[in-house]
Amino acid sequence: MNRQVRPGSQETGEIRLVNLTKTFGATTAVDKINLTIPHGSYCCLLGPSGCGKTTILRMIAGHETPTSGEIYIGKEMVVDRPPVARGTAMMFQSYALFPHLTVLDNVAFYLKMRNVGKAERRQRAEEMLHRVQLQALKDRTPAQLSGGQQQRVALARSLITNPRVLLLDEPLSALDEFLRLRMRGELKSLQKELGITFVHVTHTQPEAIALADMVVVMDTGRIDQAGSANFIFNRPKTPYVARFMGAQNVLTGTIVHMGEGQLWLRGANGAQFEAATSEAPLTEGSPLSFAVRRDRIKLRTNVGGKAATAPNEVRGVVEATEYQGSYVKVFIDLGSGVFVAHVPDGDFSAAPIEKGDPVVASWNPADINILTSVDKGAAEDPYSDTTN
Amino acid sequence: MAASPSSYGPRPWTFYALATLFALFVIFLYGPMIAVLILSFQGPSAALVFPLRDPSLMWFDELFNPRRVGDVIGAFERSFPLALIVAALTVVISVSAGFAFRRRFIGDTVIFYTAIASLIVPGLVLSIGVLVTFRYLGMPAAWYSSALGAHLSWTLPFGLLIMFAVLGRLDPSYEEAAYDLGASRWQAVWSVVIPIVLPGMIAVALFGFTLSYDEFPRSWLTVGSKNTLPLEIWTMTTNVTSPALYALGAMTTFVSFAAIAIALTSIVAIQRRRSGLK
Repeated sequence: MNRQVRPGSQETGEIRLVNLTKTFGATTAVDKINLTIPHGSYCCLLGPSGCGKTTILRMIAGHETPTSGEIYIGKEMVVDRPPVARGTAMMFQSYALFPHLTVLDNVAFYLKMRNVGKAERRQRAEEMLHRVQLQALKDRTPAQLSGGQQQRVALARSLITNPRVLLLDEPLSALDEFLRLRMRGELKSLQKELGITFVHVTHTQPEAIALADMVVVMDTGRIDQAGSANFIFNRPKTPYVARFMGAQNVLTGTIVHMGEGQLWLRGANGAQFEAATSEAPLTEGSPLSFAVRRDRIKLRTNVGGKAATAPNEVRGVVEATEYQGSYVKVFIDLGSGVFVAHVPDGDFSAAPIEKGDPVVASWNPADINILTSVDKGAAEDPYSDTTN
Repeated sequence: MAASPSSYGPRPWTFYALATLFALFVIFLYGPMIAVLILSFQGPSAALVFPLRDPSLMWFDELFNPRRVGDVIGAFERSFPLALIVAALTVVISVSAGFAFRRRFIGDTVIFYTAIASLIVPGLVLSIGVLVTFRYLGMPAAWYSSALGAHLSWTLPFGLLIMFAVLGRLDPSYEEAAYDLGASRWQAVWSVVIPIVLPGMIAVALFGFTLSYDEFPRSWLTVGSKNTLPLEIWTMTTNVTSPALYALGAMTTFVSFAAIAIALTSIVAIQRRRSGLK
């Protein structure tokens, strides 16, 4: 093995994927992906299981060979290189701590493979354990550690290789809720402190939003949208992203008129929508989907006449309410689908709404986010309401 | 049991029926062995049946000073190394095959069933087959050649089944983590995989050893002119009529038990070390 090619710390941890494709037999796990992850950023690959996010991670790590396409880390094309020569370190979902070695020997494994002397090996491994506050447990075996401690050992074992990219495969999924939130915070501050690139695979949207400088939302081998957490949360591009990020209502209407930077749509049950024109080329008579954040919805109970008259209003019957602490989630049956509004706690207690109440939900035209593809319905989308 | 039965009512009659059945089973399993062990201390009356009179070690002495008895020491000196070689080869071949079968390859199912099928072939038939083949090839039958092969046909299926289970269950991320940390393929195997699957390898070695050490049918025609221990014992049953036979039975059983004890102790020791119970 070529031990001289290991990059120094001055090299950049920018990752560039070019037309990256991976097929397993007849199935395409990753389909011509192009993505640049800037050096020193915290990037989350987000998507349901089977969307190809872990395959991408494993290809970057060198544990999977791409069918076609290129992977650059810094300036170097790394596809033909063994994992250790890429300057990446991977933290496995199961942590993959060696059960027959003590914590110290696990952390020192990399140094042992490089024939570093025993004294130096011990010293450097102890320093690394000190950093993750586990020096007291150095002589234990992995089986004697809690999940959180195991994860710290896995982190220490990865970081001792001095990587420019740390790859994390669902690192928090094995932890209980309390520990998950704590380790989430620790991962973020560790990334800030080290200044290296973190690529973190997750299927949990709050995790991605809390951690990532860059969120990459994936759907069956393709990237649906990549951008800052804030941008993706507020401006999802497709119905899929809107649903996956959660806290959005997706509605579809037919364009009846366009002009003066305005757009008028007609929705189901006589609803009318009014929005600012999107940049996308549109034609009158064609369908168009848009998303509205659930917390931008206003509800009123005096329904008035039979049909909705004002624009950007839908009416329906309350199907259920769910207390969430700072807000109440109100499910409204529109007849054409379920619409959700997040009503602030205070407003809800001032004017309580109950199951069976007829309500009108309305929003401002500025809160409409036009989507680039038409919604194909959420009936078979299992992720439509998993989060928030 | 800590829980008092009275709080849940008396035990049903089935408990006593099944307990009796199990007790009978245990007696049936170990009774003959214990009887042989006791009678091996028979005195000079040389009776082959109970009662035990004037207990002595004379038949063990007889065993090691072969005047009337057959070549017991010589047979042991063949059986023991043969069992060790079989155990070692079974481990090496099973582990290698276990690695190969972690990935699918063309013909893997055929090879698997071919290997397992030798469990079904009757040992005596296989023994004849091996002898005929060796004769045809003009090679003399001996414990270290034809008998070794015949024994492997018996131990390998067990070894393969154990190693397939052990290696099939092994999380591939252990090796990937090793590569990630700069290990070569050999280093990953030696420093990570082998230590992790070591208890399984000891189990395979144990199977190999005990199956070969007391194998009779597959040895019958394949050992050549010099007998292995089971064959020697069989010969003795036909012409030796003294408790030396029992002494020999006790000794060989002791060797088997020692092998099992060593294997199990080392497996338990490894597991205790891993779970940190020093």
